[in-house]
Amino acid sequence: MTKTLISGNKAIAQAAFDAGCDCYFSYPITPQTAIGEYLSEIMPKAGRGYVCAESEIASINMVIGAAATGAKAMTSSSSCAISLMQEGLAYAVGDELPLVLISVMRAGPGLGYIYPSQCDYDQAVTGGGNGDYRILVLAPSTVQECVDLTHKAFYLSQKYRNPVIVLSDGLLGQMMEPAEFVKYPYPEIDNSNWALTGAKGRTPRKIRSLEINEEKHNQNIQHLFDKYAQMEKAEVLYEEHNVEDADIILVAFGTMGRNIKAAMNLGRKYGIKIGTFRPVTLFPFPNKRLSELADRTKKFIVAEMNMGQMIKDVQIAINGKAQVKHIGRPAGAWLDETEILDEAKIMLGEEYAASV
Amino acid sequence: MEQSIIIAGFGGQGVLSAGIILANSFMLNDKQVTWYPCYGAEMRGGAVNCEIVVSDTEVTSVHKKETDILIALNDLSFNKFLSKVKSGGIVIANATLIEKKYPREDVKYIFENISDTARELGSIKAANMVSLGILSNICNFTDIKSIKQAIDMVLPQKIRELNYKVLDAGIKLSESCRKE
Amino acid sequence: MQQVFKIPDCIKKDAKFTFCPGCDHGVALRLLGDAIDECGVREDTIAALCVGCSVFLYDFYDIDCLECPHGRATAEATGIKRARPDKFVFTYQGDGDFAAIGFAESIYTATRGEKVTSICINNTTYGMTGGQMGPTTLLGQVTTTTPYGRSAELNGYPMKIAEHIALCDGTAFSARVSLDSVPNIIKAKQAIKKACEVQIQGLGFSFVEILSSCPTNWKMTPQEAHKHVKEKMIPIFPLGVFKDVTKG
Repeated sequence: MTKTLISGNKAIAQAAFDAGCDCYFSYPITPQTAIGEYLSEIMPKAGRGYVCAESEIASINMVIGAAATGAKAMTSSSSCAISLMQEGLAYAVGDELPLVLISVMRAGPGLGYIYPSQCDYDQAVTGGGNGDYRILVLAPSTVQECVDLTHKAFYLSQKYRNPVIVLSDGLLGQMMEPAEFVKYPYPEIDNSNWALTGAKGRTPRKIRSLEINEEKHNQNIQHLFDKYAQMEKAEVLYEEHNVEDADIILVAFGTMGRNIKAAMNLGRKYGIKIGTFRPVTLFPFPNKRLSELADRTKKFIVAEMNMGQMIKDVQIAINGKAQVKHIGRPAGAWLDETEILDEAKIMLGEEYAASV
Repeated sequence: MEQSIIIAGFGGQGVLSAGIILANSFMLNDKQVTWYPCYGAEMRGGAVNCEIVVSDTEVTSVHKKETDILIALNDLSFNKFLSKVKSGGIVIANATLIEKKYPREDVKYIFENISDTARELGSIKAANMVSLGILSNICNFTDIKSIKQAIDMVLPQKIRELNYKVLDAGIKLSESCRKE
Repeated sequence: MQQVFKIPDCIKKDAKFTFCPGCDHGVALRLLGDAIDECGVREDTIAALCVGCSVFLYDFYDIDCLECPHGRATAEATGIKRARPDKFVFTYQGDGDFAAIGFAESIYTATRGEKVTSICINNTTYGMTGGQMGPTTLLGQVTTTTPYGRSAELNGYPMKIAEHIALCDGTAFSARVSLDSVPNIIKAKQAIKKACEVQIQGLGFSFVEILSSCPTNWKMTPQEAHKHVKEKMIPIFPLGVFKDVTKG
């Protein structure tokens, strides 16, 4: 199959289209506007729904409306504007509606700036909406993965009737790489037993999160958490390299996953036994695998373009079995392989460095 | 084997499109490649740059501290990015706009009248192609055939002929530094 | 034998309205149900509902319904309609929902000319939360958050919703009606039916603002409340059709 040199943003847009996205609604914000621009060209031509909404509050709610009818619906946005969507996300979870949200991180807090950053890990993974809930989060590190994980996001959202976030960043959004646009590889999920289509020949349906009966409310929330347990069993994804003999494992998500690999390659050249671990699903988080790795390897570095967000999940997974250190900065120039390697050397100690 | 290239200049010099054409040519040669434009304050004042990393296995890190090759199309870029060039790296500089100077001794300089050459052939806007012509003589990951093919993929038909011509002129300019 | 009364098919046969005595929501729901039935679209209808006394529609109507965050019904109706243009889509909201927290979504849904219908109950107060000042609260009106009466200086002025909506190019129909008397109820029915037809004909956004009583929060008897609608509300919120594209 031929490859196309394309940006991460446009790759996501095309992949969503290929996944059968019926409706896309959004409001422009850098660095993800190219997604909306791309879809504004092809969605209306294909007879699919497209609205440049008046706000992100409106766009997420339009997505909920479309999703409630059983349509595959998506929006995309960034940082401060995703803050505006938190209420909608909580409703979508409570209403058990499948939707896909593409989050292309910029630097925050507040308006922040368009420097690339990974400062919205917490926003995506732990969320800012109300209530007990989880959202599936997939973090691509290459343009090809933007394609593959966007497909997966549509599938998982339908499978679990839950929102899915694809967590990208300004670097990945703008960078161009060769990508292959494979056919949507997942089966279509039947939603005819819950979608709102008008009550023709059947009992009317009410999609709502409100439950006045306390016992029933608790059952509903338990049902959500049964789904999350199922996701933790079936959907965890990660990428690891050279962990078998590693004296230190570098952990990173998204685009930073590439730089820890570069640091590993460089370190291995000098005989330093470095491994890498990249969670691809940030929820469900690969707790089990990290815990296994910590049985053997006793030093971990978490490299993130933020001041320490994913490290908390790594610490929970490792549960005190190994030393965990964070390196990062808020935004801008990505942590370089030499910087990461230097930190690894420090953590391993001078004796180690002298021995290799 | 991995190589990184920075192309820098100001808006209108075709910095980004030269990078995209080059990246496409790498892709046509079955290489792994990443192209990205630079952000932030660097975008202000009309300064534009992009970075291309090419590898025959996998492009890992991005936003690199150092680069193997710098194509500087104006003085500002020359001064700004010279320090990023690796020891032993190459600087292709636009002598039309940059006064010949050699502040570092550990890099190789190729000064050519890039803008003048493009102007003489029909459009100063095609300066970017002169620089790619020069680059094709020194970079092992690409060749003239795939750059021309990439031009077909990226540029509109009506300006392709001019760009081929300017590209050829760039190759001639720097024949003396041709790769082995 | 001529049938003179029938519960609309839209309304559940066993429905027992739980609105306060004298509240006009029951009448409004009855009129809307009749209009949907007469248009023959009940089985193709999807409603978007938010927060406020208006959401009791869930319990009384035999149609598909979607719960929306407060104020966002018109945005969600937009999503529904864009995904399923063949369906009849309406929102049923209060004045606070439609014109305060949700006004941005409402005015843009009208501006885009979305082919959906919004019914807005204007009772000059937040009913469900116990009678606070809303966007349409009259000057001088005492509420739990305007204990000395609404003052223009402190709280600004009551909003003229139907007039605002009529100004939007995407609006096909905008009217204000009242439920204070039988003749006005008949006119209200005609306006609601018209709004439904306008959507079915695909002409644009259609809107009906309904002046309604809230005896509980106004601390009045039902009779006093209707008198209040007639004497205090209608002079501020004049009845009529502010836009109707079918009339050239």
